[in-house]
Amino acid sequence: MSSKESCRSELRIAIRQLSDRCLYSASKWAAEQLVGIEHDPVKFTPSNTRFQRGSSSIRRKYKTHDVTVTPIAGVSYVATPVMEEDELVDDDFYLQAKAYFDCREYKRAAHVLRDQNGRKSVFLRCYALYLAGEKRKEEEMIELEGPLGKSDAVNRELVSLERELSTLRNNGKIDPFGLYLYGLVLKQKGSENLARTVLVESVNSYPWNWNVWTELQSLCKTVDILNSLNLNSHWMKDFFLASVYQELRMHNDSLSKYEYLLGTFGNSNYIQAQIAKAQYSLREFDQVEAIFEELLSNDPYRVEDMDMYSNVLYAKECFSALSYLAHRVFLTDKYRPESCCIIGNYYSLKGQHEKAVVYFRRALKLNKNFLSAWTLMGHEFVEMKNTPAAVDAYRRAVDIDPRDYRAWYGLGQAYEMMGMPLYALHYFKKSVFLQPNDSRLWIAMAQCYETDQLRMLDEAVKCYRRAANCNDREAIALHNLARLLSELGRPEEAAFYYKKDLERMESEEREGPKMVEALLYLAKYYRAQKKFEEAEVYCTRLLDYTGPERETAKSILRGMRTVQSGFPSMDVEHFPPNPF
Amino acid sequence: MREEEIEKLRGVVRDCVSKHLYSSAIFFADKVAAFTADPADIYMQAQALFLGRHYRRAFHLLNASKIVLSDLRFRYLAAKCLEELKEWDQCLSMLGEAKVDDEGNVSDTKDSNVMYLDKDCEDREINISSAICFLRGKAYEALENRAQARLWYKAAIKADPLCYEALECLIENHMLTCQEEANLISSLQFGSEDGWLSSFYSCLIKKYDKENVVEAKFRELENESCKSDQSDTSFLRTLKSNTDLLACKAEYYHQCGEYQKCFDLTYVLLEKDLFHLKCTLVHLAAAVELGHSNELYLMACNLVKDYPQMALSWFAVGCYYYCIKKYDQSRRYFSKATSLDGTFPPAWIGYGNAYAAQEEGDQAMSAYRTAARLFPGCHLPTLYIGMECMRTHSYKLAEQFFIQAKSTCPSDPLVYNELGVVAYHMKEYKKAVWWFEKTLALIPTALSEMWESTVVNLAHAYRKLKMYQEAISYYEKALALSTRSVSTYAGLAYTYHLQDDFTTAITYYHKVSNSVPILVWIHDNY
Repeated sequence: MSSKESCRSELRIAIRQLSDRCLYSASKWAAEQLVGIEHDPVKFTPSNTRFQRGSSSIRRKYKTHDVTVTPIAGVSYVATPVMEEDELVDDDFYLQAKAYFDCREYKRAAHVLRDQNGRKSVFLRCYALYLAGEKRKEEEMIELEGPLGKSDAVNRELVSLERELSTLRNNGKIDPFGLYLYGLVLKQKGSENLARTVLVESVNSYPWNWNVWTELQSLCKTVDILNSLNLNSHWMKDFFLASVYQELRMHNDSLSKYEYLLGTFGNSNYIQAQIAKAQYSLREFDQVEAIFEELLSNDPYRVEDMDMYSNVLYAKECFSALSYLAHRVFLTDKYRPESCCIIGNYYSLKGQHEKAVVYFRRALKLNKNFLSAWTLMGHEFVEMKNTPAAVDAYRRAVDIDPRDYRAWYGLGQAYEMMGMPLYALHYFKKSVFLQPNDSRLWIAMAQCYETDQLRMLDEAVKCYRRAANCNDREAIALHNLARLLSELGRPEEAAFYYKKDLERMESEEREGPKMVEALLYLAKYYRAQKKFEEAEVYCTRLLDYTGPERETAKSILRGMRTVQSGFPSMDVEHFPPNPF
Repeated sequence: MREEEIEKLRGVVRDCVSKHLYSSAIFFADKVAAFTADPADIYMQAQALFLGRHYRRAFHLLNASKIVLSDLRFRYLAAKCLEELKEWDQCLSMLGEAKVDDEGNVSDTKDSNVMYLDKDCEDREINISSAICFLRGKAYEALENRAQARLWYKAAIKADPLCYEALECLIENHMLTCQEEANLISSLQFGSEDGWLSSFYSCLIKKYDKENVVEAKFRELENESCKSDQSDTSFLRTLKSNTDLLACKAEYYHQCGEYQKCFDLTYVLLEKDLFHLKCTLVHLAAAVELGHSNELYLMACNLVKDYPQMALSWFAVGCYYYCIKKYDQSRRYFSKATSLDGTFPPAWIGYGNAYAAQEEGDQAMSAYRTAARLFPGCHLPTLYIGMECMRTHSYKLAEQFFIQAKSTCPSDPLVYNELGVVAYHMKEYKKAVWWFEKTLALIPTALSEMWESTVVNLAHAYRKLKMYQEAISYYEKALALSTRSVSTYAGLAYTYHLQDDFTTAITYYHKVSNSVPILVWIHDNY
């Protein structure tokens, strides 16, 4: 990886160029990374401390094992963003156009630049036209909205833009920014392959535009496509790969990439949030919580990604923390989809599902493609037993991102509630395909197989086995598996799993009816096997519990004594009574 | 057993105590005492028993061995045991008869035979008689004899200025008035090396002085540094960032009405020292003033989770509800706080305020009265009682209470403002002007929005005295502080009206005209 100083100077120039071209979010991203570069301890001055407050502990956590990712041996790559700033002549027009653009008067901006032929001007003109078209499209969508909120509004500028940009590209008169725009247009028109090629061209000549990378990422739906991309090596590529890996559910690869990046961008909030995202997918909630606490103390007005934090707090039922977070984002910016989702979660945890739905709806009004809001809304409808609405919400979620396993799972649940296990199975299968290591999904599938309509018990056993092999936190799988096996008349296996379940309960110090059931089964099993010593151990343990099982245990013990001694033995009742 | 071996065993006991292995300490101390039967060793055994929370045993040991009578220390330890057993009368009689006068000078002299036990180190010691005085104070406080308690606390700190606990009790429970506190501090005899402590104490007490006086006090302390190594300035540490000191400063900011400054300071402090008691209290108060209900919510949740037995935690919950204007719940939690600790002043005042906020004067008054009885050094309850009286238009009575508050704390501008308001209501406008001007003179910092109402009051009073120029100038001053107040505009308009300057009057009337209640009010009042 190139040195910190060179990264820094590259980013500094890039930020100017990006914001000069009105690529706001890309320049914001670059600026975040610029500040995120860790300071060398030598030049460390107190004025820099405010960016470093608190971030050390997380870093320490991830730096424990040395990361040895060697950069791919240097193919030619651009070191500093040198862009010929060619157009001095039409500079004044450009300034005017940029001012209009900043005021969101896109058509006006494009009009000012109508006769300018410099690359920068051409880009800004096309970009302005593109955004004008997008804006119009959004407006039409609302105006022409059908009953389902879907409409076929299109960006009317796409055709002319495509024509112009493709000619420019063929003449070789296009700069990386123009290529980005061309890629964007192509992607919207559906020619994904060409779009990919164009975007790759763009990043290879100008890698600092994060927007291009994100567009490229949305076009990389499989690992094969990703591997077929011909990307020059640059540190920006590492950011891209980390993000793509995450999208492709290769969380550990993604995490190791981010750890490697932390070596340079040690204070980057973006990377911390991404790590949190990966940990969230791996269901490491405690770690996620710690990271977000740090993030919030460094950047208290952050709203991005905070909805994930609220999901974690929801799952952990940290009521006060969630309430605090909700009030906080409410005051920071309540009209952001993230804020609305957080508030929705807050109401959901309070059990006010109608209110929660109102807020998820608001989130969707603000951003129709805000995936998690659709899924969460589905969950709320499931809670409210409104299955048709839930199904609709989940379907919208999988329309936006067919890789959202939660939505597939939700669909399965909804159909299960409607008593349609075959449908449910279909969706559970989709879900489990995406998240094969989640025991809850396997359990849900197994329960589907167990239903009276299907009674496909062998399949259920297989699913439970899978679930038991995954990290089954609630420990339902082992118990259900054992019970099912005993029902199927496979006592050896049943005993094996009951024993395993028992060991697990012992190690986690949990007690309850499941414990009693396991003990009783094992006691009976060993008696049937004539292994009286083991049976006795389980029976004596049963004596500590109250209820009918205790009596059964007593009678088993009695029975065994009779068999063992050959003559009527002393009754257990003759012993001093058990203290319980 | 030889003497050295026993000495070694004593060392073991001391070490056990310092490592908090009390059972071991008791075991070995018992053996040492059995070998030697020396009073010092029995004392050590009793000490170990006390630390191991075997109070009855320790007391019995001391009592049975008859060494109790021989030395003040033994007696003190026995009394400590009785304190833990909550047998207050016995505790007092164990400490012996003694008289204390109003100034906290003790006159017992009957038996001060301090047989010094082996002092194994040359650390400075707190005077034993000071500790005894303090324990007497605590016993009296537990017996609800607060007057005696106050005298004994005073005696304790007088006997040894290092007995901070006594001062803490006096200050936290508002036992002394401003003047008495200042007198007490000035009468303390500090050692030559304790100059800093004297400054520190003067920062702890009530701070109603002018801004520059208080700031000077703080600065003096901040510059106080450890002068061990003058050559190396990088090791020069000062008390500048000491939490206690900064908490005092925050308290001062709060009192001056600079809530945002106060809140920022306490926020940082609490990150450093989570749940620093005084700081937490000030933080809560500032958050209520600023309406940071979210902050209050989280704080209250955390406090209740970690310290469910502390009055402060439930006080915080009460504050949260008060802040979001749910006064019923707020009262419930304030009263919970008072039931956990009856001597927690803020909870009583909060309780009263929560009633007052719903205009339930009688209940509010009774809460304030309790507070006034419990905390004679705090002028706020009396002040609030006066305010309640004023609400029911009993001005004479109100004035009496305000005068009383003024005698407790003669430098709080708020008291003078209220006195002025009473005078205004009783149509004694000259007197009102006098009081209001005095208020403005006493404000420690620059004029802030908080004092806008006083300025308006003063202007009203001038208007009533037909001194229109003065009135207008004060109205304008008030407008510079806050432009949102309709009554200022109304007053200004009316003043111009009275001067027959109709055009200007109409301009100002226009600013209020969309507020009907105010117009009615003008109609009624002028």
